[in-house]
Amino acid sequence: MAKTLDASPDQLQKITHGQETRVAARKKRLRAVKRWGWRIAGYVFFLLLWDVASGTLMSDRLLVPPAGVAREIGEIFQSGDLWMHLSSTLQKIGIGFTLAFFLGTTIGLLTQSRWWEAFFKDWVTSTMTTPGLVYALVVGVIFGFSPIGPIVAIVFASFSYVTVNVAEGIRALPKDLIDMSKAFRVSPGSRLRNVIFPHLAPYLFTGVRYGFSIAWKVTVLTEVFASNKGIGFIMRVEFQLFSMAGLLAWISIFFILMLFLEKGILQFIEQRFFRWRQEVKLA
Amino acid sequence: MAVAAASRPAAWPARIIRSRRTARFLFPLVVLAVWQLAFMFLETAVLPSPGKVLSFMWDEVRMDTLSRHTLYQSFAISLGRLIVGFLIALAIGLVIGLLMGLVRPIEYFLYDVVVVVLAVPSLVWALITGLLFGLGNNAPIVTVIGVGIPFVILNVLEGVKNSPKELFDMSRAFRVPRRRVVRHVLLPSLMPFFFAALRYGFANGWKGLVLAEVFASTNGAGWTIRYWYDAHRAQGVLGYALFFVLFALILERGVFERVSRYVFRWRPQAQLEVVEEAVPEAKLKVATVEAERMAADRGTG
Repeated sequence: MAKTLDASPDQLQKITHGQETRVAARKKRLRAVKRWGWRIAGYVFFLLLWDVASGTLMSDRLLVPPAGVAREIGEIFQSGDLWMHLSSTLQKIGIGFTLAFFLGTTIGLLTQSRWWEAFFKDWVTSTMTTPGLVYALVVGVIFGFSPIGPIVAIVFASFSYVTVNVAEGIRALPKDLIDMSKAFRVSPGSRLRNVIFPHLAPYLFTGVRYGFSIAWKVTVLTEVFASNKGIGFIMRVEFQLFSMAGLLAWISIFFILMLFLEKGILQFIEQRFFRWRQEVKLA
Repeated sequence: MAVAAASRPAAWPARIIRSRRTARFLFPLVVLAVWQLAFMFLETAVLPSPGKVLSFMWDEVRMDTLSRHTLYQSFAISLGRLIVGFLIALAIGLVIGLLMGLVRPIEYFLYDVVVVVLAVPSLVWALITGLLFGLGNNAPIVTVIGVGIPFVILNVLEGVKNSPKELFDMSRAFRVPRRRVVRHVLLPSLMPFFFAALRYGFANGWKGLVLAEVFASTNGAGWTIRYWYDAHRAQGVLGYALFFVLFALILERGVFERVSRYVFRWRPQAQLEVVEEAVPEAKLKVATVEAERMAADRGTG
């Protein structure tokens, strides 16, 4: 019951403006405060644990305390290396994932036919289960340090997530709505725009979210083995220098950026896209 | 299609071409053909021909290798580490997941941290454990634990939340003994989630393990492919890459699908099929849980 209340703010407002729900609203607020209290306590606890452990459990050169990592992050921002590596990595992700998206959608559309589905089945399964390391090394040995390598790796590693979701969406197409629009002579263009696409959109979004999260991981991985700039390259350099502070600093910068792209921006677009819906939750 | 074929028997070549089994067999052949063409026309100095790679693989299968360990030893070493690490992850994750599912404050306390840990790329685990533990067994095993735990926790948590309340109420009303409730209500309802955790935790643990072996180990399957890479043997890298693909396919088709069929034998047939082909679904499940949670938070906070 609580879920439906949470899910649609409009409904919630209507209800809270009703007569007898004041008390319920206050109870709810109290619950939210409690939840946030525990949550913040969680963050604080683990940061403190980290801080205490470095220096006592392990030497603080190995397990660098949070403050040390923060200092290192500041230095990276000042040095100006950040932008060069970051832009190189982001560029590869951008090109690679766009290609992967189109390839994945095309194959997904093809799998409407059972023959093509059988044809691609093993490929899709095996690209999903192959470790990223394998892509990185294969691409590295074939393309060397050229930027084509990471792009090929991204396409191969991430397209199948789009494919699987598109295929799933097609399988669940609302037959009754399509039949009805045929009966009422809705033009094919309008049918595509108003029935099929809105139905496929959530599946596409899920595919993009998954594919993207795979794509950036594979990019960094290929850069570790076969690149002379980019976030992965700099991570390897720090690893080889045994500099835990530098490694953690670069990791956190990149990690936060990617989480922001994935959770912040993608989800924001998704929500804007589905604002016509009653519920935020997907299918 | 099947109906059409039955009502109007097609000539046999057409039927064979149209069969789905042919499509499946055709795929590797097409890949080989494209590869061969690329080898002949692209003129990259390093792309090895399919023949060269296949002969390398054959040598490996016959245990005739230049590397330190044979193919079977390498994969056995890695698999051993994977199993040890994942059992530990399973034990810890199960306890934490159950606690989070049963006690609200613990859930709020840990949930975000678990989600963050889930999002940590396995490369990060491999590099950090490599620096912390140095060369040996520890880094790969700790990587598997770190990668596997959040999968176990989130799925167990979800399973506890999804357990059918009305069945518990009913069994209480009918005074069913506790042990039988656990055996026949709680466990079966936890099973799909537990199984999803097993499958994806294991698959992702494997990916992490291989990486950790590259940076912090001197043997194992991950180390061996790196060995061929450092030796600039393209056929070695590609051959091992294909071994990885085969290994994953065998694990997926031969082990997990069979176990899932056994575990879910009590389900009606129609549902069984859904479980089997829902490769991305359990992953999806974790994602939707996450999305749902975020949406819920936005609603209240």
